Amino acid sequence: MLPLSIKDDEYKPPKFNLLRKVSGWFRSILADKTSRNLFFFLCLNLSFAFVELLYGIWSNSLGLISDSFHMFFDCTALLAGLAASVISKWRSNDAFSYGYVRAEVLAGFVNGLFLIFTAFFIFSEGVERALEPPDVHHERLLPVSILGFIVNLIGIFVFQHGGHGHSHGSGHEHSHSLFNGGLSHGHSHGGHGHSHEHKHGHGHSHDHGHSHGHSHGQDYCHDDHSLEGMAGSSKQILQGVFLHIVADTLGSIGVIISAILMQNYGLMIADPICSMLIALLIGVSIVPLLKESIGILMQRTPPSLENALPQCYQRVQQLQGVYSLHDPHFWTLCTDVYIGTLKLLVAPDADGRWILSQTHNIFTQAGVRQLYIQIDVAAM
Amino acid sequence: MEEKYSGQALAGGGVLGPVDVPSARLTRYIVLLCFTKFLKAVGLFEAYDLLKAVHLVQFIFIVQLGSAFFMVLFQKPFSSGKAVTKRQWIKIFKHAVVGCIISLLWFFGLTLCGPLRTLLLFEHSDVVVLSLLSVLFTSSGGGPAKTRGAAFFIIAVVCLLLFDNDDLMAKIAEHPEGHHDSALTHVLYTIIAFLGVADHKGGVLLLVLALCCKVGFHMASRKLSVDVGGAKRLQALSHLVSVLLLCPWVIVLSLTTESKVESWSSLIMPFITVIFFVVILDFYVESVCSVKMEASTCARYGSFLIFVSALLFGNFWTHPITDQLRAMNKPPHHESTEHVLSGGVVVSAVFFILSANILSSPSRKGQKGTLIGYSPEGTPLYNFMGDALQQSSQSLPRFIKESLKQILEEYDSRQIFYFLCLNLAFTFVELFYGVWTNSLGLISDGFHMLFDCSALVMGLFAALMTRWKATRIFSYGYGRVEILSGFINGLFLMVIAFFVFMESVARLVDPPDIDTNMLTPVSVGGLIVNLVGICAFSHAHSHGASRGGCHSHDHSHSHHGHSHSHGHGHSHGDHGHSHGHSHGSSGGGMNTNMRDMHAFLIELFNLITHFILFSGVFLHVLADTLGSVGVIVSTIFIQQFGWLIADPLCSLFIATLIFLSVIPLLKDACQVLLLRIPPEQEKDLHAALEKIQKIEGVISYRDPHFWCHSASVVAGTIHVQVVSDVMEQRIVQQVTAILKDAGVNNLTVQVEKEAYFQHMSGLSTGFQDVLAMTQQLESMKYYKDGTYIM
Repeated sequence: MLPLSIKDDEYKPPKFNLLRKVSGWFRSILADKTSRNLFFFLCLNLSFAFVELLYGIWSNSLGLISDSFHMFFDCTALLAGLAASVISKWRSNDAFSYGYVRAEVLAGFVNGLFLIFTAFFIFSEGVERALEPPDVHHERLLPVSILGFIVNLIGIFVFQHGGHGHSHGSGHEHSHSLFNGGLSHGHSHGGHGHSHEHKHGHGHSHDHGHSHGHSHGQDYCHDDHSLEGMAGSSKQILQGVFLHIVADTLGSIGVIISAILMQNYGLMIADPICSMLIALLIGVSIVPLLKESIGILMQRTPPSLENALPQCYQRVQQLQGVYSLHDPHFWTLCTDVYIGTLKLLVAPDADGRWILSQTHNIFTQAGVRQLYIQIDVAAM
Repeated sequence: MEEKYSGQALAGGGVLGPVDVPSARLTRYIVLLCFTKFLKAVGLFEAYDLLKAVHLVQFIFIVQLGSAFFMVLFQKPFSSGKAVTKRQWIKIFKHAVVGCIISLLWFFGLTLCGPLRTLLLFEHSDVVVLSLLSVLFTSSGGGPAKTRGAAFFIIAVVCLLLFDNDDLMAKIAEHPEGHHDSALTHVLYTIIAFLGVADHKGGVLLLVLALCCKVGFHMASRKLSVDVGGAKRLQALSHLVSVLLLCPWVIVLSLTTESKVESWSSLIMPFITVIFFVVILDFYVESVCSVKMEASTCARYGSFLIFVSALLFGNFWTHPITDQLRAMNKPPHHESTEHVLSGGVVVSAVFFILSANILSSPSRKGQKGTLIGYSPEGTPLYNFMGDALQQSSQSLPRFIKESLKQILEEYDSRQIFYFLCLNLAFTFVELFYGVWTNSLGLISDGFHMLFDCSALVMGLFAALMTRWKATRIFSYGYGRVEILSGFINGLFLMVIAFFVFMESVARLVDPPDIDTNMLTPVSVGGLIVNLVGICAFSHAHSHGASRGGCHSHDHSHSHHGHSHSHGHGHSHGDHGHSHGHSHGSSGGGMNTNMRDMHAFLIELFNLITHFILFSGVFLHVLADTLGSVGVIVSTIFIQQFGWLIADPLCSLFIATLIFLSVIPLLKDACQVLLLRIPPEQEKDLHAALEKIQKIEGVISYRDPHFWCHSASVVAGTIHVQVVSDVMEQRIVQQVTAILKDAGVNNLTVQVEKEAYFQHMSGLSTGFQDVLAMTQQLESMKYYKDGTYIM
């Protein structure tokens, strides 16, 4: 028996080459449609902010300068999204055994938090202004806010068409086809297919052996992972960024409306009320995203599995030889990738392999990608 | 996708999940209801303006006349339905009398305390009031949620009574003494004056009374409406009778007193608006909606919208734009006095909305179950597991009491709690002093401190939450909350540092004048508070480390209690021992480290790596301290030397310091959240994996995943492939023992004997594919042999 070991010490990271690294990042950004869209939108936003800053300095207007700084701050959200979409494609290594796919969830979370901060600040400022409305110079407000509105509208369209379509197209289709075989037939055969299956499986694995299966499995697994990463990465990041842009757009709409109201009717209170409403809207719209990402980060049982799981437990417990089921943990790695572990207590004379494969089947049908089952044999 | 398959698995047996009433197609009615309520608010505001000009009884008479006219026109109570008997006529007469009295009270209350408050008080539906009364006067109120709702309601009424400083103006302006229109109003006034409250407060009491009467009245008239043949017919007849009732009174009134109204013709439009919006439309839509929806949903949406629109109108009714909009039916003379929108009213409106929402929500018993399947007889089976029961609302006082007890139990959280109290007290003193001396700087600083306290509250809450038991949904427990809270705190600090940085850059360019004399005492006070905090935390930390060890030890105990029940006897003495040992050593290492270094920042970083939650809060306190030190130093510089630039430089320095100190924390939290192998155990784990490889009978392992779930839980999963003739249980035990030594305390080991098959089924290709593949391979084999005959 030859000892197999992973020699990770011998792997030396290549010399740090900034140029190559940056170009690599660029390539990986431009390779994927989502991150490409993000990148272009970021460039657009940044250039807008720079133009605003330069114009502000040139015309020496403090309002424009502070607005451009606000836009820079906004860009951090996009930057976070972009970084996450690059990071989430990194391969898994020794330390990060699941890869970096969770970066997307984290990015969504961070975006959500930033938005909450922003909403809070806007709200408090709105309250302050509602108590004593300052006189706003509305003549310059309108063009700037309209420009911002246009930029944000472009963003919305880009993400609606590119991002959303993409995630639907590739993500869904892909996972569908992966599952189709097992799922559509699974149930009808479920009952009597067992014994049949068992015989076949038994005969085979002894012939074809382990080494082959092993390497193949490993490979396939990695492949699967990265594919999922690509397909699923769009959702959370995009949701966060999209919400951010929508919030900005709403902000500019509010500014435009309040500017019009102030100019034409002299309703000075329109401005704080608008900003408070916008802040509330942002707050409300961000809550689902935050809730979801906190749930994922806290290893919550995925809500989409929540209803299917008790039924699966029931089916597992009905398998022959299974006494009980305990310590079930199911959690979400990233969008649509669910991982589960559970322990089964089985009778001493039960066929472990059969139970293992059946359990795997049952949970695969429910949509769990990676399953770890520990089989404990009950004492006599 | 999930839904489809689970549906299939149930053999077409409906939707899984919480059992709920289908709520489709109701949107139309809800929109209609909301619209009607909005119009009703408009109508009541209009009615208030009318009542300034028209006498109360005349007003009611005209409204009743108009509504009787339209209702009779629509319903035709005489030509349709069965004839009304004499006994029923008497009952209708009583109904009309009571109805008149209630509307008299209602509109009198309207004249007293304005349309906004009337809407808030009187527009509660029967469901809300009934559940309120049942909470107040019966023992079986329906749980703590309802009690909470009732408490909100009472708070709202009390707010209206006490904190609404509107009465002064209204009283002076509107009711000069000795000018009362009629005997009735005079009597009411004397009653209110006798009770010793102001007019507008009397109006509030009156309206509450009228509300109770109204609900009782509705309950009582239910039977009569069935007898007569429908609520609509009863309403029409009752309106008619009340017109006849009020007729003589109005005639007498109009003969004895001279009217204030110049031209009745200009009042026709407002009256029609009031009649339609307040009486007729509302009545019809409400009856339709109560048929189509549950009364509770109806009540919830209706009351919410009417309160919101009342608030809006309360603010905007006297605005020039609304004047323009309703120029057509504006009453000719318009008094300038209005009931203003005060803070008390807004607060009470919020409380009314909350209470209406809570009180009208149906009791949730028997609705939270999850459909898990069907029994052999075909009856659905529901699952009421742990959290479904936990979700039923807890009693708030008890919750607070329990969490306080939990906080005070542990040393760390107790420290945070005391510090929070100190901070809050300081803040309030500052705010109070600021309000008293009317200095804006102090007030804004107080608010800033209040904002800072939120970080402490979050830390405290996280410390509390980490101790919650694992539920079905959060199967690993809530341990991650502390990491998340550390992360959020870190981000928070980053944002603050960013803003401070920006501002200091702006000030560097253009240093503003600062009045320094006020700054020093406040910042010294802040510094003292923060220093206390630092002392508290550093103490808590040194204790916390040892406590942490104990804690995880506890955990491991529970764990092997668990494994004991499965009865593999040998290993657990081993487990417990080695585990406890390893933890003890790490704790000891930290202590010596601290003793050696004695330097503050080193300790800080130790904190960061070992106790993320704490370091988050701690950093916050540290940042505050640095801030106060900086302010003091810069104040001294400015006062002594007149260097105005010292202030922005100081804040720049502080911002950079905060930024730098936050980065390690954030990096650490990120690594945990990204499911990294815990860095301090990485070496051990690699050694353990090599050991696993060497176990007899193990061929290889794959997919080893280990991650740090919380400070004390390290979870792990691994697949182990073994040769086919080995005892699986022995392998599981050995692998578990090895990994436990390495510090993994929540482990799942899957032992595989037939690698290929397992992979295929495990990697989501599914049952059928494997079946097909094996069949194909088999047929090929036979084919090659040439012995395969169909």
